[in-house]
Amino acid sequence: MESIIKRIESEIASYVPKGGTEETGIVRATGDGIAEIDGLDNAIMTEMVLFDPTFDRTLEEALKDAAPIYGLVLNLEEDGVRAVILGDASKVFEGMLVRRVGRLLSIPVGDSLVGRVVNPLGEPVDGKGPTGVKDIRPIEREAYGVIDRAPVNTPLHSGIKAIDAMTPIGRGQRQLIIGDRGTGKTTIAIDTILNQKSEDTATRPICVYVAIGQKESKTAKIVAQLAEAGAMDYTIVVTAPASSPAAFQFLAPFAGATIAEHFMEQGKDALVIYDDLSKQAVAYRQMSLLLRRPPGREAYPGDIFYLHSRLLERAAKLSKEKGGGSITALPIIETQENDVSAYIPTNVISITDGQIFLETDLFNKGLRPAMNVGISVSRVGSAAQTKAMKKVSGKIKLELAQFRELEAFMQFSSDLDADTKKRIDAGQRMTEMLKQPNGKPLPFEMQAAVIFAATNGYFDTFTPSETAAAEERLQDFLRRGGTGVLEKIRTSREIAEETEKELRELLDSFVERST
Amino acid sequence: MEKVYAEALERSVLKGGDEGQLFAGLMRHLKAVGRLKLLPGILRELRARQSRLAKLAPSVEVASTAEKAVALKEAKAAGIEAADAVVNDALISGWRGRSGAQLVDRSGKQALIEIYRNIVTK
Repeated sequence: MESIIKRIESEIASYVPKGGTEETGIVRATGDGIAEIDGLDNAIMTEMVLFDPTFDRTLEEALKDAAPIYGLVLNLEEDGVRAVILGDASKVFEGMLVRRVGRLLSIPVGDSLVGRVVNPLGEPVDGKGPTGVKDIRPIEREAYGVIDRAPVNTPLHSGIKAIDAMTPIGRGQRQLIIGDRGTGKTTIAIDTILNQKSEDTATRPICVYVAIGQKESKTAKIVAQLAEAGAMDYTIVVTAPASSPAAFQFLAPFAGATIAEHFMEQGKDALVIYDDLSKQAVAYRQMSLLLRRPPGREAYPGDIFYLHSRLLERAAKLSKEKGGGSITALPIIETQENDVSAYIPTNVISITDGQIFLETDLFNKGLRPAMNVGISVSRVGSAAQTKAMKKVSGKIKLELAQFRELEAFMQFSSDLDADTKKRIDAGQRMTEMLKQPNGKPLPFEMQAAVIFAATNGYFDTFTPSETAAAEERLQDFLRRGGTGVLEKIRTSREIAEETEKELRELLDSFVERST
Repeated sequence: MEKVYAEALERSVLKGGDEGQLFAGLMRHLKAVGRLKLLPGILRELRARQSRLAKLAPSVEVASTAEKAVALKEAKAAGIEAADAVVNDALISGWRGRSGAQLVDRSGKQALIEIYRNIVTK
């Protein structure tokens, strides 16, 4: 009690009335989360405004509900401005006083956000109290230029064999995860976060998961999964659920990028997952139509490409002079009927540095991750792939492509020559080996060892249907008896001649025991 | 369409056009193009614009009659030239004035709300 009295006394003693001139406006009309405002002559784009509910009330009434409602100026017009309401729009009424805040929309960022769940305004929504961060950053900013950037050269392991082997991701890269609903897009993103636990704490990226337009139950499940695996120790969740206003869903990815930039500028690595940008595009379309901006293709506004390009350009690998930090972005796009040639998918495909394309048919066949190897690419990731992974995964893509061709042929022909049969078996084994259950990412050294075994014929003694079980046994075997070899691969990031010899000996002994 | 006519009338008046002539011209035009039915809509739009202008017109509010003289003087110094001050006891003390987009709030109520917000948000 004493401390409360002292706090109030000090607050009163230190209060200096502003009393200066401020620029205000009056709400002319409001509806659908948009307010038309008279006045605010000098307002600027994306400036914050404050809808003041206290102005026309008595002190007693005002204190009952003194929380300000923020708005974001998005249209500057001849006779006023239009702003989206970032809060309870039902509390905004015609004639309400609107004050300029004097800064662009900004959110608080800081190290103490790690482990927290926040909304796009940086306000905690996990019931754990204030975040305690004081730094404020504008959520819109220009991306770093060419001079400030360095080439992508460090891998970011997803822990998923198919991805790390065939479409590797580098720190600072933008890799799109695209596919129909229910094909495992979020699973790949979450597994990538979970896999960072196997990274050294010094090089472990801070992960930011941005949930846009998701069901709250889904986000809660993801947060619980991350917390259970200990991944919330290095993760921040930004959530704009389906029930939140369109403005929140539009802002959430920018808030995520702003938080990640805080860490990048400290020289750290950050990983941001935007789940998903299709919903952000839909939210932006809704806002734009309500703001009476002219609709274009599929009723999206003309600047929908710029919306995504300016967001994804903020992913970067900074030069040493700038601290060497990075932001890796994994945007997710949901397609309809596997149509990658729709408006938003083509836009985001052209912006990103590669894509992981997931297919419903493959998913239903039990191939998980349901990655279509043929059209999934990583344009810069191979430069960041470790020597070990490069060495073992070189042939996989080609072998799988050949297998897919033969697989189609196999359906029409029952009499196959020995060579073709051998190739098909090898392809089936490879496919089985690349299957991976969700929530079980593999550290890169284990992936390298397993893929080495597969590409060097160590699974040839098993039938394709036995391969998955054999692979599990091999992992157990290596965990128990091969820690030395795994450690060497992990630290040197390559499979040197000596290590290869030891690994081959281990694999020979595994095959011997298994047969 | 009503909005466009109302906007055109307002602009012409603000430019110093004669209101009688403008009205006659408008009626002639509406009759000629067969749009007389727009008249109630134009009236509604003009009223809305008038009330909007009234809200943005210079005004000063004071907490008590005793503060009127000081308030009007301070408001003038701040660039708000109102003919008279209205008593609004919800202000508790001091005054506040508005002119267009400009607001000066030196009331006790605003000070108390700011202190309250500072305490509850820290």
